[in-house]
Amino acid sequence: MKKFIISLLAAGALALPSLANAADYKIMAPAAPGGGWDQTARTMQTALQDEGISGSVQVTNVPGAGGTIGLAQFVNQASGDPTSLIVGGYVMVGAILTNASPVSLKDVTPIARLTGESEAIVVPAASDIKSMDDLVAQLKADPGSVSWAGGSAGGTDHIAAGLIAKAVGVDPTKINYIAYSGGGEALAAILGGQVTAGISGYGEFASQVEAGALRLIAVSGDTRIPGADAPTLKEAGVDVVLQNWRMVAAAPGLSDEQKAAVTADIEKMAKSKSWQDALAAKGWADTFLAGPAFEEQLAKDITATEGILKDIGLVK
Amino acid sequence: MDTFSLLAGGLLTALQPMSLVYAFIGVLLGTAVGVLPGIGPALTVALLLPVTYKLDPAGSLIMFAGIYYGGMYGGSTTSILLNTPGESASIITALEGNKMARAGRGGPALATAAIGSFIAGLVATIALAFLAPTVVKLALSFGPADYFALMVLAFVTVSAAFGSSALMGLTSLFIGLTLGLVGIDLQTGQARLAFGVPDLLDGIEVTTLAVALFAIGETLAVAGAGARAPDKIEPVRGSVWMTAADWGRSWKPWLRGTAIGFPIGAMPAGGAEIGTFLSYAAERRLTKHPEEFGHGAIEGVAGPEAANNASAAGTLVPLLTLGLPTSATAAIMLAGFQQFGLQPGPLLFINSPQLVWGLIASLLVANFMLLILNLPLVGLWVRLLAIPRAWLYAGILTFSTLGTIGANPSQVELGMLLGFGLLGYGLRRFGYPIAPVVIGLILGPLAEQQLRRALAISQGDLLVLVQSPLAIALYLIAAAALLIPLVMRLRGRGEVLNQLAADED
Amino acid sequence: MSELGSQRDERRPDRAALVIAAGLAVLSGVIFWNTASIGTAGSYARIGPTAFPYAIAGALLLISIGTALRAWRGHFPVREADEPAPILWIVGGLAAQMLLLKVAGFAIATGILFALTARGFGRGPLWMTLPIGIGLSLAIWLVFARLLQLSLPAGPLERLFL
Repeated sequence: MKKFIISLLAAGALALPSLANAADYKIMAPAAPGGGWDQTARTMQTALQDEGISGSVQVTNVPGAGGTIGLAQFVNQASGDPTSLIVGGYVMVGAILTNASPVSLKDVTPIARLTGESEAIVVPAASDIKSMDDLVAQLKADPGSVSWAGGSAGGTDHIAAGLIAKAVGVDPTKINYIAYSGGGEALAAILGGQVTAGISGYGEFASQVEAGALRLIAVSGDTRIPGADAPTLKEAGVDVVLQNWRMVAAAPGLSDEQKAAVTADIEKMAKSKSWQDALAAKGWADTFLAGPAFEEQLAKDITATEGILKDIGLVK
Repeated sequence: MDTFSLLAGGLLTALQPMSLVYAFIGVLLGTAVGVLPGIGPALTVALLLPVTYKLDPAGSLIMFAGIYYGGMYGGSTTSILLNTPGESASIITALEGNKMARAGRGGPALATAAIGSFIAGLVATIALAFLAPTVVKLALSFGPADYFALMVLAFVTVSAAFGSSALMGLTSLFIGLTLGLVGIDLQTGQARLAFGVPDLLDGIEVTTLAVALFAIGETLAVAGAGARAPDKIEPVRGSVWMTAADWGRSWKPWLRGTAIGFPIGAMPAGGAEIGTFLSYAAERRLTKHPEEFGHGAIEGVAGPEAANNASAAGTLVPLLTLGLPTSATAAIMLAGFQQFGLQPGPLLFINSPQLVWGLIASLLVANFMLLILNLPLVGLWVRLLAIPRAWLYAGILTFSTLGTIGANPSQVELGMLLGFGLLGYGLRRFGYPIAPVVIGLILGPLAEQQLRRALAISQGDLLVLVQSPLAIALYLIAAAALLIPLVMRLRGRGEVLNQLAADED
Repeated sequence: MSELGSQRDERRPDRAALVIAAGLAVLSGVIFWNTASIGTAGSYARIGPTAFPYAIAGALLLISIGTALRAWRGHFPVREADEPAPILWIVGGLAAQMLLLKVAGFAIATGILFALTARGFGRGPLWMTLPIGIGLSLAIWLVFARLLQLSLPAGPLERLFL
């Protein structure tokens, strides 16, 4: 309900110009209105229409189970339809595995990665832990004494914590991960000093970091975040690179020409001023990547995620 | 003082004639949409927010505040008159409010809700303005062990909503707790009671359960009673206004509800509904008319309604100072604030004092406008009950399903609506209370997650549960709430307690 | 279950209530059975995802026994006979709305719910209430889907306005 509602705002604000014509594109957001995937879909809708790439774009929401309900419906209903698109992301990779979903990303035609966000590792300002080194030392000494607050079990935050443990030679099943049902609740627990460290998307913590209530000790992307004074995990000596990316995919069963046409449209959109302005307004990083390079990265992410989820013990 | 001059400046802007017109339109729209059964305040605000985009910032802020208060009040109206709460925080209002409405006392019930909301909103908004930084510090010191203690207290007080039989109340509560198990376990990612249905993995939506049990269950029960039920309910018996006795019985619950609701709303994991449960339980224990509870006691409307509104203002504390949305309504408000260029967070009061004080002034003015607009309308709302019930209930089902379809147009969701509707009918038929089912669905998962978090952080050390002074205090209150009536009854003292004894079967 | 209501002797076992007791026992059994299949991954909390389900299932079993005893003694509240026909009309309306929503769209599906509910309360005839219900639902669709941007399923009628 919560997600649904925030969304409606976005919906109301963004969907106004779409009034006429047959839909050139139908974008499915496999989440309730308001969340990241829904916002991505609706931002695409605006950009595609504003730039005249598509006369009219419809967005539908099919929420539930980390996007796997929407994905299954998309695979069944859109097969062979070159005007159907689905938004998704890294979270889906994990959800497909943990929910034992009957369909996977292999059943759709991935088109491009659009945006990405680094995970951030923070500690309360009053904490004795001053750097990633301190955290790693404590983790190695007694993994149970480091409680990590983040999103739900098996999600990006949990995977990131598992990867960090594995990279520094700690058994990932031994991490003491405390799941919270939304960034807000986890943030309150970190600010209140209830847990040792927090791990979540950088956007969740940005304002508290600026205000000095939280100490940012590392970010998970391959480059530093501009304006934030913290090393990447790699720079801090932990060999983990992880991005919570969002992508767009097309229906299964497309011909090569159809796939090329969709890719061209999406590429045009991603380069457009309307899209770039929207990214800047929302603070999303442009990580556009299409074609074979994207497919390669996707395959790599799926393998790594499968490995770490097995290591943590969430997937048998 | 700086605070005062800023607030005065905000009030001056908010009291401009044009601002008052915007506030009026906002309250009117908010009430009109919020009053539809099945559409709660959160959805009302979300739907109407885009209307405010076209105004200048000051105007849109005040219209937004009006929509917010209008939606809150509209939700209570359907809860009282039609027994169809649009969200979890007004379920308790329906308990006594609807009984009053059926006895022809819908007018006083609506009036005490409106005035109680006004007073709670006024006091809590002022508290927000002057105490926010202190309150937020206190709220953040609540750890998982303290939250678990709070849940234990809430569970103890649920018994106040049990009705005549403890066995039946517990049955309802445990059905709710069972429903709360459904879905993926947050801590471990394991699916429980989902039986391979993907739609069940995210758990059961509280709104769906509440709308089904109350609106659909009620419709089926009334239809099944056939000729036994009167075709129309007498909308007004006695005065449509509050009598002197009503005032006398309402003012203390208003203040107590405010005092309970505001701090609980300010806690990041408190939840608006818990304040209403505690307020209802408190009023039931303190009332001089215990025989009326369960049959339409005005205290049972006045207290929870004040608690509901005070906790709504309380949720603004973490929202404005930390940027934490802790309820559905707060989540929309956050989106709304961002639209007005207000960036909630620790630096908000420093970076944009004009906007914050403008918002607080707008809330005060809109709150006042709500009272002016709605008190005269009470007589009109009560007339809703005069609609022949075939059209009334057909309309209720239309709007109730609209809310569910709008949130998630899936057949599984509508199937649950039908299934839980039949459950609601069955419960009514055999005299089981309804509210504990919804309370179980809300409290069960909260209690379980907080307990497991507390134990995980302490690495399994059970002592952590009783180490904080806050938790100990909460356990003591819970023990007192449980034991004092028992002890007093054993001693056979006082009429009040005899009544309580009779209630417990 | 309804015919039992008024003719029941105070002290006779309440058969419908015994069915409730059995239902609660079955619910408890389902939770036990379902929870047994959940793996208990090692956790620092010591109580894992199975502790609460087992506790709730155990409590339900006790409640079921208590209900059975009470039903046996006939201590359930007296019920008056309910009419099944109106209930079936309304349940039919809700089921029709659920099944038709995707195919026929919001207005037709909800209009049928409206008309069947009115029928359940003895108002008709359907040839009159159906158009009223569909018209009302279409108006709701226009306000909420077009004006307020709520996403409601569209069918043949709604497409006329798209």
